[in-house]
Amino acid sequence: MRPSRKTCPICESGRRTVDYKDERTLGRFITERGKILPRRISGTCARHQRQIGTAIKRARYLALLPYIAGHEG
Amino acid sequence: MIYYPAVPERGRHLFYPCSACTDTGPHVQRKVTLRDYEIVYIFHPSLEEARVNEKLDRYHGLIAGTDSGEITAVDHWGRRQLAYPVQDQTSGYYVVTQFTTDGTRLPEFERILKLDEELLRYLIVVNEGDLTTTPVPPQPKRDEDEEGDDAEGED
Repeated sequence: MRPSRKTCPICESGRRTVDYKDERTLGRFITERGKILPRRISGTCARHQRQIGTAIKRARYLALLPYIAGHEG
Repeated sequence: MIYYPAVPERGRHLFYPCSACTDTGPHVQRKVTLRDYEIVYIFHPSLEEARVNEKLDRYHGLIAGTDSGEITAVDHWGRRQLAYPVQDQTSGYYVVTQFTTDGTRLPEFERILKLDEELLRYLIVVNEGDLTTTPVPPQPKRDEDEEGDDAEGED
């Protein structure tokens, strides 16, 4: 069965670029462990998936997002 | 368009000096390319705001001094929690600055930043903004359509 086609959440919100400082938006595209969600799950278009990948990596460097989340010490 | 001045006297010059060139001697093509950048600083959380401003003034003099470059925006986020410890600190003082400068000044700027032990981290990126990207055409929705908007755009 083919899954229903999703539309890109970034396109739907009317934005053209993804900001690496906007960790609230980026937080929607990571798993609870902090991994970047694949397109087949998040449904983003190719352009925005690339932007999200770069943005998440920048946000991680700036300690806005975790590299690994949900593990204790 | 390239403008050549009159032929130099006695043919001493190997090259015609360009109009922007003020030096004598061998011709040096000086090209200043200004670009928009953005830097995020993470300062040590124990720093007070006055001290941070002092540091920022010093840094910004390096990229926006004299002839080329200017600071367009400075945004203090203030102290906030880090997602993971950086240099044993769990919080940091964030400042975001947008500026325009000549890229050849950045290596020296970064060298100074790396010497500062109270600067936990920084990130310089080219600020693309929204201007350089071409607009993304809105994806036609499959399930719900607003009436009469873009009927021919669908397959």
